[in-house]
Amino acid sequence: MTEATSTSASALPNPISAVRSRLATQSGSRRALLLMAPLIAFELLIFVIPFAILLRISFAAPSSDGVYHEGTWSLEAYQQVFASDLIWSVLGYSFFLGVVVTVLSVAIGLFYAYAIWRSSGVVKSLLLFSVVLPLLTTLVIRTYAFDPLLVPAGLVPGTAGVVVAQLYIVLPYAVLAIYSVMATTDWHVVEAARDLGASRPRSVLEVVVPQVMPGIIVAAVVSFAWSVGAYAAPELLSNSITFAIYVEGLMLSDMSYPTAAALSVVMLGLMSGCIAAIFGVLNRFGGDFELA
Amino acid sequence: MSDITLQGLEKRYGETTAVEDVSVEIDDGELLCLLGPSGSGKSTTLRMLAGLETPTEGAIRLDGEDVTDQPAYDRNTSTVFQDWALFPHKTVLENVAFGLKMRDVPTDERRERAQAMLERVQMGGYGDEDPTTLSGGQKQRVALARSLAVNPDVLLLDEPLSNLDKRLREDMQIELREIHDDLEETFVHVTHDQDEAFTLADRIGIMNEGELIQVGDPDEVYENPKNRFIEGFLGDTNFVDATVARTNGEAVYVETELGAELILPSDGAHGLESGDELTLSLRPEILSIDRGEPDAAATATADQRAVTDGSTTNAVAGTVANVIYRGSTVRYSVSIDGASVFAERTDASSGSLSAGDDVTLEWDGEDVLAFRADGSRVSLREP
Repeated sequence: MTEATSTSASALPNPISAVRSRLATQSGSRRALLLMAPLIAFELLIFVIPFAILLRISFAAPSSDGVYHEGTWSLEAYQQVFASDLIWSVLGYSFFLGVVVTVLSVAIGLFYAYAIWRSSGVVKSLLLFSVVLPLLTTLVIRTYAFDPLLVPAGLVPGTAGVVVAQLYIVLPYAVLAIYSVMATTDWHVVEAARDLGASRPRSVLEVVVPQVMPGIIVAAVVSFAWSVGAYAAPELLSNSITFAIYVEGLMLSDMSYPTAAALSVVMLGLMSGCIAAIFGVLNRFGGDFELA
Repeated sequence: MSDITLQGLEKRYGETTAVEDVSVEIDDGELLCLLGPSGSGKSTTLRMLAGLETPTEGAIRLDGEDVTDQPAYDRNTSTVFQDWALFPHKTVLENVAFGLKMRDVPTDERRERAQAMLERVQMGGYGDEDPTTLSGGQKQRVALARSLAVNPDVLLLDEPLSNLDKRLREDMQIELREIHDDLEETFVHVTHDQDEAFTLADRIGIMNEGELIQVGDPDEVYENPKNRFIEGFLGDTNFVDATVARTNGEAVYVETELGAELILPSDGAHGLESGDELTLSLRPEILSIDRGEPDAAATATADQRAVTDGSTTNAVAGTVANVIYRGSTVRYSVSIDGASVFAERTDASSGSLSAGDDVTLEWDGEDVLAFRADGSRVSLREP
């Protein structure tokens, strides 16, 4: 193949095949690297370098007259984080919110995605459109709108109101993540299960859920990460303090950059552990993540 | 093991009628093939039997028990789907054991029974495989094992062989037939392939446009089709338009585009009158094709022949327009006064013909089937 290309290129001075054969001789990894360069540059600039700065600040000594002591190395910020009962109760509340919202959003998202999957025509379009519609409004306005809605029910200010509003923020993403996998599932498989004696709920549980597990994992990770780090809903609808609100306070009111940075790093570690656990646990119930 | 009664079965989707007034009795242990072109309602009928569709009207009885409104999971029928519908996240063995799991059979027993069933379809060594990695033929075997594992009263097969290549399909037809004879269960098999139906079936039910037109033994539906659709669907044939010229007690004489007056021997049971429009079916296997002009006796008018020697032979002269080799047979397309008729010979028969040769086509009028303008069969003889 390569030989045929090069002979024809030498016999006929065709510029396209000349370029082609030159590319073919170039090593595959070099070309791949070249193609990925813009992405690598972007990641470095936007993610790696800022995170390195954050990491560096977390190891600087706190200062009372500035935001931190430049050029110093210290573990004081981490000591503050681990010693503070307040911080641990804030983290506890954040994770509690994350778990509750994630469970609800995956459960409701699964039903909603199933409804879209099984409907057709106008109903299907309407169901899909109503998932996407909230995403067209600004998050702050969407969240504020819950105030007049929930006050008569006595849910604002309070955790219940925060859960409802946060669920409203993450649910569209959960639905879309699950539906995108479900849409590729063959309905005949469900019919086969029923034909073999599985009741309606059983057939979904045995056949649909394992197949959409990749979507469920994505939905769970997005809901969990977003809800643990919730800012807008708790800030606007309650007096509760979550991790994000606390970090904001450390930076803008207390001017304690090292503590804020250290708390963020600790949080990042905890979240990574949780997400790895979500993957590990859910993957055991079937589904092949490589197919997602 | 069960007998099935379908009574006035009907399925409508809004304005369209998928299945219309289907009634048939299927005997215990019978293998019935529902044969028809796509969209003829055969799969919908099968799905109603399985409980995957609810009939709009009519009743289904299994062993005399009305199961019309019973959902699929409460019915002891089992379906092999066209795309096999194996569970992709379960192993082959788990697939086969699924029905037993739903019936709360203990784990050890269901594993044993599933393995035995896999061995029966020659897939014993594949229990731990991922079904998505199997070939079409293997998937088909696993799907069959999965359906049989639950000991269904009735096995329903929805074109399970149509996605296989020709050779494998033919092997599987014979194997399916053997499994059926072995189990003595009732099978209902849906197919659009006539050869498959003829190979497998005890009886064939032919469907078109939602209706079950004729049910009968394979040779009965082939040799004695109820209408023109079946005659055309069950094999290749030449349809020739004809007009009744006159009739008498011995025959119907018709004029056709083939240029000669043809004889259809009849005892007068036909009820035809001169001027009636007919369609004749000349199957290639009844036509004999030979080089040269027809002899004088054969070209004499039909009337003369019938009167003189009682012959029912028809003969027309034509020219070979083209020759198609089809392996074991050669098909000749013969043009006769602008009309075209095809005949077949086995390759071995004497004297090869080529395009442009003058030939004579001969056939016995007894072998010709005639259909009225509405498609219904003309009975030329008292049954």
